[in-house]
Amino acid sequence: MASGGRRFGWRWVVVALGLAVLVALPVAVAALPADDTDVSAADLRARALASDDVAFSGYAISTGGLTLPLGDALTPVADLLSDQTTMRAWYRGAEDWRVDVVTATGETGTHRDTDGTWTWDYADQRATRGDEPPLALPTAPDLLPSALGRRLLSEATDAEVTRTAPARVAGRDAVGLRYTPADGAASVSAVDVWLDADTGLPLQVVVRSADTTIPALDTRFLDLDTTEPTAATTSFTPPTDASLGQDQDLTDLDLGRRLADVDLPDGLAGLIRREAEGVPGAIGVYGTGITVLAVTPLPGQAARSLRSQLQATPGAVVDDLGVRISAGPLGLMLIGSRETGAFLLAGTVTLDALATAAQQLSDTTGVR
Amino acid sequence: MIGVELRKLFRRPRTWVTIALLNALPVLVAVLLVLTDLAPRPGEGPAFLSAVLTNGTLFPLAALAIVLPLFLPIAVAVVAGDSIAGEAQGGTLRYLLARPAGRTRLLVAKLVAVIAFVLVTVVIVAAVGYVVGTTLFDVQPLATSTGLSGTVLTPEQVAGRTLLAIGYVTISMLGVAAFALFFSTLTDSPQLATLGALAVLIGSSLLFTLDAASAIAPYLPTRYWLSFVDFFRDPVLWRDVTRGIGLQAVYVVVLLGAAWANFTTKDVTS
Repeated sequence: MASGGRRFGWRWVVVALGLAVLVALPVAVAALPADDTDVSAADLRARALASDDVAFSGYAISTGGLTLPLGDALTPVADLLSDQTTMRAWYRGAEDWRVDVVTATGETGTHRDTDGTWTWDYADQRATRGDEPPLALPTAPDLLPSALGRRLLSEATDAEVTRTAPARVAGRDAVGLRYTPADGAASVSAVDVWLDADTGLPLQVVVRSADTTIPALDTRFLDLDTTEPTAATTSFTPPTDASLGQDQDLTDLDLGRRLADVDLPDGLAGLIRREAEGVPGAIGVYGTGITVLAVTPLPGQAARSLRSQLQATPGAVVDDLGVRISAGPLGLMLIGSRETGAFLLAGTVTLDALATAAQQLSDTTGVR
Repeated sequence: MIGVELRKLFRRPRTWVTIALLNALPVLVAVLLVLTDLAPRPGEGPAFLSAVLTNGTLFPLAALAIVLPLFLPIAVAVVAGDSIAGEAQGGTLRYLLARPAGRTRLLVAKLVAVIAFVLVTVVIVAAVGYVVGTTLFDVQPLATSTGLSGTVLTPEQVAGRTLLAIGYVTISMLGVAAFALFFSTLTDSPQLATLGALAVLIGSSLLFTLDAASAIAPYLPTRYWLSFVDFFRDPVLWRDVTRGIGLQAVYVVVLLGAAWANFTTKDVTS
């Protein structure tokens, strides 16, 4: 009996030990400390911006935490900012790269060449050619950590960046950098970027808002190889049996065509109006860095539809000024009526800043 | 002992009935597609089903995708769950153990038999799928297929990647087999062992859909099952395929170890 008990014991001990080792391995690997580098925040930011000539292949995941009340036409944008997006990327240079959005049974690939992009959609068996429009909705390649990190850091000043603790990202040592926007109207509380210690390539980007601990966006490489991919990997020739199309420029859509010319103020909520290439004159863009407010007049039907959506959104503030909501760091506000016309205010600003801007806009244009 | 177990398994009529039933669903789907000409859009429904109307040589993959989520694991769980518990329930286990080979070898022989069943089943599903696909759907001798990435795959590439997919699907089922085999050593009821394995799979599939469970998702036994689709991307996406193989290996090692620890010390009375 006693020997049976001992026999029972050692076998289970072997199994338990084996299981413990297997469970502990990933935890131990994840807990490996990352090496830090003695480089100033400003220098790190400069290295990140200069990393657009670093070739790589990678596998990345972007997780959006925003629930946007957008209509059917903008569903892809809403999905991008609220769901998980899995991407494969091959990068040879700023005008020679490929990003595939991978799903369980399909994929959508964007291939960039010197003249523009090919977008392959397996679901539609369709290849679409696009040039480089100055105004475009965000797409998956914009969320790649390398692209997003450079874009966001390019708007920061040296005074707005500080060093943070290093981390292990994609199995590499990554040095930390935090961009804290100085503007009082900012709804983005911080952007954390971890850069590859060797190349300066942004490996992970986390966008945070002040009102929640859940990141508005977290995009990171899970695998990265800095060997240059072949040209054959990034190039694209449409299959002979695929349908072909041409990307529609945003300025060709209703957004740019039906807008009446209005005189927008030079400043709103303390944010200065700035020039933005490709943006129609009726649309005002205000602010600097990642604190940006866009103001656009809306046609009647679009305004009515959006007003209903915004009013039905939990947490919506409805008052004499209009209706406003926040989705993470993104604020949306609709003001005006059928008689006076309507304006949409959207941007990475606080609800208070939106209200202030709406009041000033109303005073200037008479819309209420 | 392995030969004995293999002969026993493949001489049973119910083994072949199970395989026949597994093939019934893809065949039914193929007939319905031919009759209605209504394939799902690419990216919707079972993988590759949308493409078979124009290229029947892809139907083996569609057939695997049809049976993979439910029917194939049920069949594997039934066979593996029966392996030890079925002998105990039938009163034959103690006679098997009277042979000098020992319990560990019997366990290994049972596992090998289950693996052989999985391989034979997957190959037959693919083969029947090929016959059905090339019979019912259009096939051109020099037909090329468009992979998920929009690149052209030659017939040789499709054939090679299909073989890889068959191998991967077989490996993906090993975790199910290991769960059922372990449960089969815990009980004298094969039904209970099968249900236990299926409960694990249903739980795994459910957890995989929850964002709240994302931290444990990479360790769920069903996590990488559909990654055989990655063979048809260009370049092949090996990341999830290698993780899927590694995960199944871990489940097999741990559960076979647990089955061994339990079975070799168990009082066998039936």
